[in-house]
Formats: sequence, structure tokens, C-alpha cells
Amino acid sequence: MSEGSDAQPISLTVNGEPVTVLATPSETLLEVLRYRLGLTGSKQGCDKGDCGACTVLVDGRPVLGCLTLATLCDGAEVRTVEGLSTAAGLHRVQAAFVRHGAAQCGFCTPGMLMSAVRFLETREQARAPTREEVAAALSGNLCRCTGYAKILDAVIDAAAELGTRSVPGSNDAEGAR
Amino acid sequence: MSGSPSVLGGRHGRIDGAEQVTGAARFADDLSLPRMLHARIVRSPHAHARLVRIDSSKALSLPGVHAVITGRDLPTPYGIIPWTTDEHVFAVERARYVGDAVAAVAAIDEATAARAVAAIEVEYEVLPALLDPEEAARRTDVQIHASKRPGNLTKQVDLAFGDVDAAFAEAPLLLENDYAFHGTTHAAIEPHCALAQVDGDGLLTVWSATQVPHYLHRALASVLGLPARRIRVIQPPVGGGFGGKSEPFDLELASALLALRTGRPVKILYTREEVFLAHRGRHPTRIHARTAFDRDGHLVAHDADLLLDGGAYASFGLVTTYYAGQLTSLPYRLPAYRYRSRRVYTNKPACGPKRGHGAVQPRFAMEVQLDRAAVHLGIDPIELRRKNFIGENTRTVNELRVGSLGLLACLDAVERASGWKERRGRLPRGRGLGVAASAYISGTNYPIYPNEMPQSAVQLCADRSGRVRVFAGTSDIGQGSSTMLATIVAAELGVELADIRVVAADTDLTPVDLGAYSSRITLMAGHAAMDAAREVASMVRRAVAKKWEASPKDVSLAGGLAIDICDPSRTMPLADAFVLAESAFGTLGAVGSYNTPKEGIHGDYRGGTIGATPAFSATAHVAEVTVDEETGDVVVEKIWCAHDCGKALSPLLVEGQIEGSCYMGFGEALMEHHETDAAGRLVAPDLLDYRIPTSLDTPFIASTIVEAPDENGPYGAKEAGEGPLHSSIPAIANAVFDAVGVRIDELPITPEKVLAALDKQREEQHRR
Amino acid sequence: MMPLPRFALARPGSLEEAARLLSDAGAEGRVLAGGTDLLVNLKHGLAAPRLLVSIDRLPELRGVSVDDAGALVVGAAERLADIAAQVLVRARAPAIAGAAGLAAHPQARNMGTLGGNVCLDVRCRYVNRTPLWRGSLGGCLKAEGDVCHVVPGGKNCMAALSGDTVAPLVALDAKAHLVSASAERWVSIEALRGKDGRTPVALQPGELVRAVRIPAAPPNRRSAYLKWAVRHAVDFPLVAVALVVDAGADGAIESLRVVASVLGPKPRVVAGLDRFRGERITPQLASAVAEQVTRQCVPLPNVLYDPQHRRRRLGVMVRRQLDAWVG
Ligand SMILES: Cc1cc2nc3c(=O)[nH]c(=O)nc-3n(C[C@H](O)[C@H](O)[C@H](O)COP(=O)(O)OP(=O)(O)OC[C@H]3O[C@@H](n4cnc5c(N)ncnc54)[C@H](O)[C@@H]3O)c2cc1C
Ligand code: SF4
Ligand code: FES
Ligand code: FES
Repeated sequence: MSEGSDAQPISLTVNGEPVTVLATPSETLLEVLRYRLGLTGSKQGCDKGDCGACTVLVDGRPVLGCLTLATLCDGAEVRTVEGLSTAAGLHRVQAAFVRHGAAQCGFCTPGMLMSAVRFLETREQARAPTREEVAAALSGNLCRCTGYAKILDAVIDAAAELGTRSVPGSNDAEGAR
Repeated sequence: MSGSPSVLGGRHGRIDGAEQVTGAARFADDLSLPRMLHARIVRSPHAHARLVRIDSSKALSLPGVHAVITGRDLPTPYGIIPWTTDEHVFAVERARYVGDAVAAVAAIDEATAARAVAAIEVEYEVLPALLDPEEAARRTDVQIHASKRPGNLTKQVDLAFGDVDAAFAEAPLLLENDYAFHGTTHAAIEPHCALAQVDGDGLLTVWSATQVPHYLHRALASVLGLPARRIRVIQPPVGGGFGGKSEPFDLELASALLALRTGRPVKILYTREEVFLAHRGRHPTRIHARTAFDRDGHLVAHDADLLLDGGAYASFGLVTTYYAGQLTSLPYRLPAYRYRSRRVYTNKPACGPKRGHGAVQPRFAMEVQLDRAAVHLGIDPIELRRKNFIGENTRTVNELRVGSLGLLACLDAVERASGWKERRGRLPRGRGLGVAASAYISGTNYPIYPNEMPQSAVQLCADRSGRVRVFAGTSDIGQGSSTMLATIVAAELGVELADIRVVAADTDLTPVDLGAYSSRITLMAGHAAMDAAREVASMVRRAVAKKWEASPKDVSLAGGLAIDICDPSRTMPLADAFVLAESAFGTLGAVGSYNTPKEGIHGDYRGGTIGATPAFSATAHVAEVTVDEETGDVVVEKIWCAHDCGKALSPLLVEGQIEGSCYMGFGEALMEHHETDAAGRLVAPDLLDYRIPTSLDTPFIASTIVEAPDENGPYGAKEAGEGPLHSSIPAIANAVFDAVGVRIDELPITPEKVLAALDKQREEQHRR
Repeated sequence: MMPLPRFALARPGSLEEAARLLSDAGAEGRVLAGGTDLLVNLKHGLAAPRLLVSIDRLPELRGVSVDDAGALVVGAAERLADIAAQVLVRARAPAIAGAAGLAAHPQARNMGTLGGNVCLDVRCRYVNRTPLWRGSLGGCLKAEGDVCHVVPGGKNCMAALSGDTVAPLVALDAKAHLVSASAERWVSIEALRGKDGRTPVALQPGELVRAVRIPAAPPNRRSAYLKWAVRHAVDFPLVAVALVVDAGADGAIESLRVVASVLGPKPRVVAGLDRFRGERITPQLASAVAEQVTRQCVPLPNVLYDPQHRRRRLGVMVRRQLDAWVG
């Protein structure tokens, strides 16, 4: 990254703010976000497309930061986990993650959230999503801690109409004894 | 009195939940320091080779390269177990597996460091490699480590309890089978990462993604030859451990030395391949099991011969070798028990502790043996387990003390939830239900290095702002230990969770805790927190009581208030109560610490302390599977798991541990395999080929919390992080048998093994 | 982290400019589409091009349309996720939409293109590895060495064709439109794929794929793409097969095409299926076809799964699909 010679300035919008930053042709978007812009929310778990920890939204779509050349994001709109919450509070899906205990170590969480945000923003709003639909949308984000159970609960909950809190197929357990 | 019921046992999330979901949590690789260098490690391409020459001159001449270090720079051996320090940061004389560290280069950035690694010339003399554990156990001509005894045995344990041979001689049912448990790895999503810095006063600080900051602190001191007081270890949030980060690793020691050498901060971030090489995962284990039953299905004797493939270094292996035998003696009554457990070195990545350490492999064998017995005797397998339940407040045949053990409630719960009684035996061919159960330790009685000091400690402060600070050496690796501490303090002091700051795992700021392993933290640090909080609470109550002219025992602290129990309309905000207490007693604070009970909890034979624990958890699983008889596919439709954690301080977190454990067991049972090829190379060193289940593969997991409080646990609490893994695997194997009548005794249960077994079954039926 | 090697990056705005850049660079240039395969290979040190030519701004490579002959034309830079969701593709070439939707995982489908999928490099357990790993092995024909570990003694690289859309495109008789600075031509997808994994795609230097054309389907066509992998997401196929059956109004088979992939570098068009012409799909026919497929298709130990098992499964997949079409 400090190979200065072939670094060129690129301009992109990151979480709604215009940013100009240097990047070499060989730098990935993940490297630029993490190491040049200090946006370390997006994670690196494999650096080759296998785990989804680096998932960010580029022009609205979840992509892998580790396999996206930063230079090609010139002019693009990038959203990362840092851009989800506002002064007014957490994004609906962030709040659901906290409520459901959907993050354990929290390392897969930022990428998972970005896939979930895209799912929630583009799905058919009229009906509650099924567990399978949510699982499919998150299938490129590996989590080693949770068994996905509470993550799916959280996304389904976030999708539910405000006020209705019944969660179809909820994994919430009941106590015994 | 104590306790705010809404906190203890309430469905709260983690105290750092908001930090996690906003990306604010700073993991090791999220840290960077001015002038920081990046280092990478040169690794051996050979499974076993003598180092002839290392030439780093070309690398050093590359622009941007700052330093190269090799084995010569770090001659002091280390290892997590003080009796088996067989590792060097870099191979000194020999490399012992493909991936063994040989040197490290610090450079201006990762790309330069990577180029420099390629420019280091290492000449090797290739030595014969031992890859098969049986062969390694046999051969004495190839010696992976120099040792007093010829051969490659790292540890052998032979223990017998009761009259095993007599029991076998008379038993009406004897089952003798071979089982093979394959190697699996932790695969935490965060790769290991360490950052080291030396400040102007010469203090070395190492930030590391570790589960054991204290042991890292000790290893840094001994390997670098620095006094421990000149070293500070900080553990940032860790992106998953599962045992894979529970001992010192090359990158931590190397980054420290490079920082000392260059005077600049140095970071090392493992590549994913290096994570697979560092490994310390589940030992591949071959088990020969003989189990005798009486006509009613009672266990009368069990005899196991275990061979553990340890890989190139000892790691925790001494303990693993014992665990492989010690913990099979419960949760069932076993009148006579014998085991021989051997661990050998092989030229492969070192095995160590993975979630359920040592006991998962023999549990698989035992639970399948029980299932076989149930079939032979025509007894319902849940009933068979009930019959054999060891009971509570008792001792195992190998003299481990057992306190509470909610096994029967666990069995009842999964039986009910799965519809076992109505459905089992009535499912169509191809669909089946299987059960298994287990018990696990909540911490070990003895620390890794002998000492009399507390295993966990907490320092607590409160002040007039109403805010409370908890200082603890505990490592939160995702299991929620910081939330656990806050929950206890909140319950005792009546403060909100949000008003508590937990400062954890910083050797400069927090008292020593031994680390996140063997499921010890809730029981041990929980006790320490409870004691400290009770002491502060008592001061607050006394101060308030004085003001109210009441008795301290009538002052309750709850919901952010001090409340007069005799007149609940009389309350005071806690901040005001703290003012009174601070005025009366001076700065408000207390310490708490915990050490394990030592009396009468284990036998005094050699090794008898291993497996001894303050409290055992209990677990039962039912798995439902569908087997496709043409493809061999096993689909796990659902897993029901009931786990006795004594007392769920944070049920949401306990459920998370149950679900995560079931998930991990499911992956091990069906698809994961940490395997090496004929030359010792990892077959699947990435997250593409080492197949951990995705959200689409993972079955629905229905968890039930069972609470059989233990007198040794804080509020009765026991462990929840490892126990719920053990029996998930045999439950799946037993369900496969129930579905199609074949046993797969060699894990993982892959389609081709299922098909081969079904082919054989068809052939046999044909012949009849 | 796995840093990328240094290269120059061009982002032309027209096909003409792209073609010129590529022809100037010759063997030192590479087309960069979604990068989900190429960049991983570069990180693994499997290639070191001097120039990457990005096609993300070429309008000529975009769009899905139906031409005058009723054929479906899909731009090479169209993303797999869009192809999977595209109404035209779903209606006219459901097997392609299905295959695109089964590849990799959601993020890779948002990035990966049809052109990249069709031109995907072959995969092998011995080569898609880090330099440390390959160095330990001593390399192979495809990289840094002169032997093959899959077929000892073999002269060709027999790594596995792994792009999910290739088999169904071949089964549907699709052609690729190739464009270079000086010429253009149409080549069948089958001919585009090389039989030696060292040259997985028969492109001339400077040539790129502009679009893929799938001929109009006759009425009564049934098609399917079946993929097997251990996991339901992320994984490349371990064995895969496309089936296309065209039948007359009476249900009699007019043409039956079966194309298997993940065997060696080339898709395998199962031969001799003409003998089923005129028959109706019955369970007996399903078994007979499956047997023929299994006989001709021999997976190699190039990807991480037992080849015998992959072969047996292929037969089951084919038979079950035909069984589902009985009647
Ligand atoms: C974790 C993971 C899992 C994957 N699983 C699958 C899977 O299951 N199935 C599957 O099919 N793929 C899979 N892939 C690979 C990949 O995502 C897809 O195949 C994708 O379609 C490749 O397209 P791309 O645009 O990203 O190609 P690139 O990586 O950009 O290019 C691939 C190759 O094609 C060449 N190329 C690209 N476009 C053109 C063109 N228009 N003309 C000429 N040459 C061109 C490039 O030069 C390069 O050689 C996986 C990838 C990852 C990271
Ligand atoms: S098939 Fe042979 S030559 Fe080709 S990549 Fe694999 S080992 Fe190398
Ligand atoms: S870091 Fe990008 S997919 Fe793993
Ligand atoms: S919460 Fe740890 S990896 Fe998902």
C-alpha cells in the first residue's frame, strides 16, 4: 500500500460522503477501506472470496471487498457497516442483531449485516420472508460461532412489519426445569 | 438481599452488542500504529527436513525490508505445558511439518514482506517423514523429536479402575468395535494476528488475537528473556477461538522480537493458509472399544485403546491424552473401566485443544457402543441411557467427584421436543432419529503450571457517578465472558448493564485470569465477580441503612435504586447511594478471586487430577436425519439439544453456545476434514476446500436450557460453551443407523462411506 | 492477507479501445471482468499479467435481448445474479438462469459475469493453492512444473472445467461472439473450451468474448442443469450435467443432449444418444441414458472428491431428472 509510485487518486462515495483517496491498481477495495480510510469495520477472513467477511455494498449490491479492485470503484457508491447507524440510532437490522444475540465474536457480523441489509431493502415487502430465503441471501457469509440460528431470527425479525413481533420458525428456545 | 431477577437469567444481549454491529469493535488487525512494519513468515515446504543454510542477504537488500530473524535469534524453547516445551519460534535445527516456521521478515508493507519471503533462500536436507500414527508409534529409526525413550510417543497413559477382566468374563453382552475420528480444525473466521510495540521506556506491548493472554505473557518473558514486568499483553476482541488461539504462537513471539530489533511497531497477520497450518485442532484418533453390558442394558465394563495422532508438537497433548480416557467415565455409571491412551508425534500440523478437548472422540465411540447395545437388547436408547445414569453427588469409577448433573432432565427434554416416543421406529426407511448424551467439565481443578494463586480474579470499582468498572483478565472470544461479568455485577449492585464498563484481558490493567479454555470462565471469574460485587453491595447497603436508620439487610439494590424492603416506597437512586458509601468508606471498590476446591474431588493416582473439575455440565442430543440411499447423502433435518448449564445467567448467550456447538459438531460429523496428503501437505488449506457449513447447510437447531444448579457454581452456573458439542456427533451417527441400518464408525460420515455400507448391506441381504 | 502482484489497469470506454489495448498487450494482457476468478489466481501467483483490461465500462458487452431469429443474446459482462433473475433468460433458457443462480454465493454472483464464467480457468486441487503449497509439491504442467499429479505421465493438464454455465450452454448449442481489434467470429461454446487445461479457452491473443447467443428453443423443450457439491453455497461443482430434451407433440424424443462437466478441462457431450430418438421418456429410458452417461463420463482426481463417487452420482442425477420428466 505504500508503494507510492503507481498510486492514483480515486473518488468514491463512502457511506454517503464523497472521498478522494490514493490507490494502486493492485489494491483491493477492502485494503483501501481498512488501511487507507481507517474503516476497519469490514473484515478480512480469507482474502480470496471464500468467507464473505469483507462484504460491502457497491452501488447497492453486496460484493467482496477482497476481490474488488479499488480503482474500479472510482465513481461508485460504497456502503460499509460504519454507514448503517445514524445519530438517531442503530439500523433496524443492527438492533435486531443485538436483541437476538446474533453476534458472538462479531467478526462475521459486518459482512453479514451488509448482505442482510441488501436482502431487506430489495425483498418483496408484502409478506414475511421464510427462513430459507434469508439463509439463501446470507449463504455467502460464513459464521463459525452462531450456527446461524440467531442471525436468521434477527433478520426475519427485522423484516417483520413494525409492531408484529411473532417470528415464524423462531429458534428462540424455551426454558425447562 | 441480592439479585435483580430481571438481569440474572434475563434475555439480554451482549454488553458490547452495539460496538459489534456498528463495526466499532477493534480486532487485532484493525489496529495500526504510526511507522508500523508488516512481517511475514517463511515456512518449510518439507514435512521433515534438516536446515542446512538460510541466506537472507537478497531479502535484506530489497528496498523496504527492515529485518530478518531466524531460529538462531530465538533459541529458547516454549510450549503451553511446562513439561513439554518442544517448540521454537523458528525451526532451529529441523523443520517438522510442511509449514513449520523457519524465519520472518519485517518490511514496509505486506507486499514487500511477501516478496522478501520469496527472496529468502533456505537449503534443506530432506529427512524421512512419518505421517501415519501407527507407523510413528512403531518406528524408532526416525525420531521427530529427540527424547530419552526411542520412538515418537509423546505420552502414554494406562489406567484401570475396578476389575475389568472379571467383568468382561461374565458379561452376557460384549461389544467390540473400532472407531476412527478424523482431524478437524477450529476455522475461526478471524485469522490470528499480533501487533508488537516497544515504547520509549522499553516496555514491550503485544496485542494479540489470543485466548490466553496470561500464558502468552509468560512465553514472551521466557523466550525473549525479558522480565514479565517489562511486558504488557493486550487481547483485543477476538474473532472466534474454539481452542485454536489457546497457546502462544510463532507470530506473537516473532512480532515482539522484530519490534525490539527494529524499534518500530510490527504486525503479523496470518494468511488463511497459515491458520490451517497453525491448527492445534482435534486429534485424529483411532479407538478400539470393548464394552460389556448385563442383560438389562447396564454397563458393566468398558475398555478403550486410543491412539492420538498429535502432529509435530506437543501442544496441550499431555492433557489431551488423559482427557481421551478420563472423561468417558461419566455421565454413566461404569463399574469397571480401563484405558490405554497414546499420543504420537507425526510430521503434520500440531493437534491440540478444539472445543470439547480430547473427550469428543471417545464420546463418539461410547455413544455408538451404547446405541449398538440398545439395538442388541431391544431397549429404547434413551431408556438405556437413563438406566445407566451415574446420579448426582457421586463419584466416577476413576474417582472424579460429580456434583449436580441434570442428565435425566436433558434426556426428557430432547425426548419430548423431538417427539421421540411417538415417532421413533415409525419413520419410513431412510429417515431416522438418534440420541446421544455427554458430560463436560467447567474448568479444571489445576492450572497449567503449578501454583497456589487464584485462577480468576476481579477488581471492582464504583463511584459517585453511578457507574461501575470491572477489571478482569478474562478473554472474551465471542462466548460473552465480559457480558457474564457485567450480568453478575448488575445483579448484585442493582445497576443497569449499560452502566457497567468491563475492562478485560490487559495484563497492565487487569488481574490475572488463566484464559478462555476448558470452559472455566463463568464458574471461576463469575465467582470472583460475585464476591467482589457482594462486598461493594454490602458497603452500599450499610451506608444507605445508616442514613435510613434501617438494617442493612432491609436495603435492596435493584433497578438502579436502593430500596427499603420494609417500605418499598422509600427509594434512592443508586448514584446517591454510592455517594453515601463513598463518603462512609472512601473509594468504593473490592476484589474477588477464585481458586478451585482441592479436597476430595479426585483420586490420588498419577493423572487423577486430570478431569477433576468444580462442576460437570450435562447434555443430550437427538438428531433427525434423512438418508438418500442412492447418493449416500445424509441430511440432518433437525437437532434438538438440551444442555444443563446449572444456571443460565444470560439465556440468550447460553442458547448461542448450544447452537454454535451443535453447528460445529454437525460440520465435523458430515463434511469437515483437516487432512494431509502422502507428503504431509494439507489437502484443504482454505475455506473453500475445508468445507464449513453455510447457512443453507446448517440444520434447524432447537435448544433447551436445563438448570441443575451446582453448589460450586456462581448462582449454580456451570459451563455451556463446549459440552453441547460432544454428543451432537454420535447422535447423528446413531440417526443414520436408525434410518438405514448401517453404521459409519469412521468419521466423517460422507456419502461414499454411506453408499459403501449400503452396498454391503444389500449384498448381505441378497446372500441370505 | 494475500497481496495482489503489481499490474497496470486499463478501463476502456469502448469495445474498440478494449480490443486495441488487448492486442497491443498480447500475451501480457488479460481481460478482467468480475475478477472473482482471475484475482484469486493472481493472488495465488498463477499468472502475472502486466496489464488488466477491465470490461466494466463497455456498453457493447451489456444487455440481454432476443434477436430476429428468436435467439437469446446475453452480453458477456452481464452478472450471474442478473442472469439468474432475468425474466427473458428464465423464460427462454431456464437451465442457464438456473446454472447462474447455483454458482458460488450471492456476492460472487453479484460480481461474476457470464463471460468470466464461460472463460473460467480450469481448477485443480494441485494448482489452486498458494505458492508455498505448490512449491512444496514442486509444481505441475499448469504452473511451475512439468508433471501432472492427476494423470501421472500425462502430457496435458487435466484440471476440471468448473464454470457452471458451460455445460448448459453447450447443451443448448450456444455460441460465443468473439471480437478482436482486427476481426470477429462466432465459435461454439464447446469449441471455445480447450482440451488442455494449460490453454483452457481457445481465444486468440487480443480476443474477447462480447456476447453469448443461445438459439431459440423449439416448443416442448425440457432442460435442466444439475450440480453437485458438498455445500449448498460457495462450492464449485464437483460434478455437473446439463440435459436438454426436445420432444414432438406426441412426447416422442426428437433430440436428447446430455453434457457433463467437471470431468477434465472440456465439457463432455455424451455420444450415441440418437438411439433414443422417437422414444418417450420412461423409467427404462431414464436408466438406459444414465448408464450411457456413466459409461462415457469418467471424473478424474482433479477436484477434492472421490472420482468414483462423482461418477456414480452423475448417473443418479441424470436418471432422476429424466424420471421426473416421465410422461
Ligand atoms: C468462493 C468462490 C466460489 C466460486 N464458486 C463458483 C461456482 O460454484 N461455479 C462457478 O461457475 N464459478 C464459481 N466461482 C468463480 C466465479 O465467481 C464465476 O465463475 C464467475 O462467473 C467468474 O466471472 P468473473 O467475471 O468474475 O471472471 P474473471 O475472474 O474476471 O475472469 C475469469 C477469466 O475469464 C477471462 N474473461 C472474463 N471475461 C472475459 C471476456 N468477456 N472475454 C474474454 N475473457 C474473459 C478472464 O481473463 C479470466 O481469465 C467461484 C468464485 C469464488 C471466489
Ligand atoms: S491436472 Fe495436472 S497439470 Fe493440470 S493443474 Fe492439475 S496437476 Fe497440474
Ligand atoms: S475476506 Fe473476502 S471473502 Fe473472505
Ligand atoms: S459471530 Fe463469530 S464468526 Fe459469526
